[in-house]
Amino acid sequence: MKGMWGMKKKWHDFKQWISSRKLNQKVKYLFLIIISLYVIVFLLMYAFVIRKNMFAYMMTSNLNTMVSIGSNLNGELNNISKTSQLIMGDSNVRNFLKCSVTEKENYAPQVLMLIRNIMTNLQDASSIYLIRDDGNYMDASNSITYFEPKYLKDTAWIADINEKRGGYIIKVNGGGAFEYYDGRPMISMMRAVYDIDTQERIGILIINLSQEILNNTLQDVLDNGRSYAYYDEEGHLLSKGEALKEIEETPITHEDYEQISVGGMFKEKVISYYHVPSTPLRIAGIESISLTKFISKDILGFVLILILLTFLSLSILGIFITHYITTPIQRLVWSMSSVKSGWLRRASLKTSNDEIGELKDSYNKMLIELNRLIDELVENEKQTHRAEIDILQEQIKPHFLYNTLDTIAYLSLEKEKEEVYNAIETLGSFYRKFLSKGSKQITLEEEIAIVKDYCKLQKLRYGDIFEDMYDIDKALLQIKVPKLILQPLVENSLYHGIRLKGEEGIVKITAYRTESHLHIVVYDSGIGMDTTKIEELMNENNSKSFGLKGIIKRIRYYYGVEDVYEIRSEEGVYNEIDLKLPLIGGNHV
Amino acid sequence: MYKVMIIDDEKSIRNLLKVVIKWEEYNSYVAGEAQSGIEAINIIDDIQPDIVFVDIRMPFMDGIEFSKIAMKRYPKLKIIILTAYNDFEYARECIGIGISDYMLKPIVKADIQENLATLVKELDARPIPDIKKDNVEEEQGNPHIMNIKNYIQENYNNSQMNLTAIAQYFNFNPSYLSRMFKAEAGISMIDYITKIRMEKAIECAKEGVLMYKTAKMVGIPDPNYFGKCFKKYTDYGYTDYVKNVRRE
Repeated sequence: MKGMWGMKKKWHDFKQWISSRKLNQKVKYLFLIIISLYVIVFLLMYAFVIRKNMFAYMMTSNLNTMVSIGSNLNGELNNISKTSQLIMGDSNVRNFLKCSVTEKENYAPQVLMLIRNIMTNLQDASSIYLIRDDGNYMDASNSITYFEPKYLKDTAWIADINEKRGGYIIKVNGGGAFEYYDGRPMISMMRAVYDIDTQERIGILIINLSQEILNNTLQDVLDNGRSYAYYDEEGHLLSKGEALKEIEETPITHEDYEQISVGGMFKEKVISYYHVPSTPLRIAGIESISLTKFISKDILGFVLILILLTFLSLSILGIFITHYITTPIQRLVWSMSSVKSGWLRRASLKTSNDEIGELKDSYNKMLIELNRLIDELVENEKQTHRAEIDILQEQIKPHFLYNTLDTIAYLSLEKEKEEVYNAIETLGSFYRKFLSKGSKQITLEEEIAIVKDYCKLQKLRYGDIFEDMYDIDKALLQIKVPKLILQPLVENSLYHGIRLKGEEGIVKITAYRTESHLHIVVYDSGIGMDTTKIEELMNENNSKSFGLKGIIKRIRYYYGVEDVYEIRSEEGVYNEIDLKLPLIGGNHV
Repeated sequence: MYKVMIIDDEKSIRNLLKVVIKWEEYNSYVAGEAQSGIEAINIIDDIQPDIVFVDIRMPFMDGIEFSKIAMKRYPKLKIIILTAYNDFEYARECIGIGISDYMLKPIVKADIQENLATLVKELDARPIPDIKKDNVEEEQGNPHIMNIKNYIQENYNNSQMNLTAIAQYFNFNPSYLSRMFKAEAGISMIDYITKIRMEKAIECAKEGVLMYKTAKMVGIPDPNYFGKCFKKYTDYGYTDYVKNVRRE
């Protein structure tokens, strides 16, 4: 389990590592992987398909070759055997073997003549020995040969020869009985000689053959890439030529046929052993595996071209990817990176008209939009501030204070002290609340109080041309609202509604709530407005109405919603502005 | 004694000026007051002031518009702007139309009196009107009262129309024309204008038209002053009149 988990983690790490590489690195790694896959597939194909087929082919061909070498050799040996029968069939020879010791010299010259003749006829024979049972022997040789007669008393050695009942056996160096003065190996054909009449064994005929006979059989099959050699059972080299290193390192087995491969990949060689039937000889062959031997050069060339083509297309693909994808993306990234440092500058590089171009375009569009939004935000903020400043200036409006002061001045001269005191107190109260703290929001109660003071002061100035009324749910009084949103509306009601009508009017403020909104309605019984005038009033460019528009703007900004007011009006009858303030967060009662 | 007229939409300010300034010390007295430019245009020919104190911010016709008209019709008139707006644009405009002075509220008695003294001195320095001139004017011949009546009937809804405007239109001396009109028509021209307007207003009232709309229609766009005129003419408030008509 732990191992599994470790694997998973490694895989996860690997994926992380890959995904954190740059795009062009990813492409490089991909190419590396593709090329590695190519090599691996090729090697696998070689190791498991081509090589196997090559082995099978080579084994068959090697076996065939070695079988044919072996049968050549056996043919040669049969020929020599037939020639040797000439010796065995000769009466002088038989007499020489049968007669007593004293008589043997009578036949010696004829026998010697015979075997010498035979020697000359047998190209490969180096010596011929005719051995009597008593150990006396006659020989003819063309090179210095030592014979060790003690083997004649070796029962095992004798038995091997007798076993064939007149057929020949082949032994290297006569099973140890012979030796060349120069140490060269020889192949001995040994057979027992029987009397024709008695069918008794009368002697032994041994024909020693030089290694030439072996070399001759190999001559035809030597070619490039493979070589053969004869070895005896102990692994000594018999045929001429240099010993094969690989063979000396490999123990010779007693199987009739065996193939072993040695060497690494591509330097591989196949070693074959073949036991030549009815001889103690082994043929060893060595052949190096070569593709060209198995696959024709044309096909190999074709495969090479195919591989080259593949690499070429991979390279072209790589260049294409680099030129059209990774490089433009890198440049785009570079161009975009300025945003990190806070510059909302558009990416200005040249791109083709593809997806990357589209990416750039949408990025630029996004930036434009972003810049626009920022501008809008800044503009909004500015406008809100401006609206606030405007409203403060408009409201603090010294002229209101000055006019009111003049009114109070008149009262002080003409009216009761009490009235003057009330007027001054109201003025003070109005300005204290009005200028209080400078905070952006106040409670509805304070807002209403400002309106009440304002109305009192206006009545002093203009006489009782209007009546102010209030219908406000007490539960709503503590709700916070943006500062100074009512007084300017009441002022509008007075100056643009009631006073223009010429009759006594009513200003009424109503506050109530619905599920989601606080409604504050400022009603006046003034001249009202028709729809065109309302539209004109709220027109962006109308500077006259900035009182109302400023309030709307501040409320919208404060709550972040657009739908914050409604104007209802009937021309000549009434006008009503309904402020719809969302009850947000802590504003719930 | 020079005649002073005060135009301000706030009654308390008009009263304050009347009470605070020692007019008699400056050989002058408050001969009349108006609470709007419209009212002032209508009554100025009756009052014939030498000096006018006028506020700027007033409904229907503001102080500057009034001053422009007044300076055209009464070139000798001294106009003092009295405003709570310390606004450069206003001041610039006032200088352009020949306003005598531009003063700021709240009222400072000493400043006003100082200016008043200057103005009175200027007025004193004026040449005394030549009596003979009137005789010369009499040679202007008889005005065609019918034409003037027609003109009034056609232009009653022009809020800037008054005696002087008509006299200037028909090329007569205003006081001469006034006398001639009264002699011919048996009613002063100012009363005639009001009569025409009120007759139209009664028609509107019978149709139940709202007062401020009627006021605008008959050339007295200040409904407060229109209300006064209507009451004076019919003895009823306009709204009451409408109600009565409805009831019948």
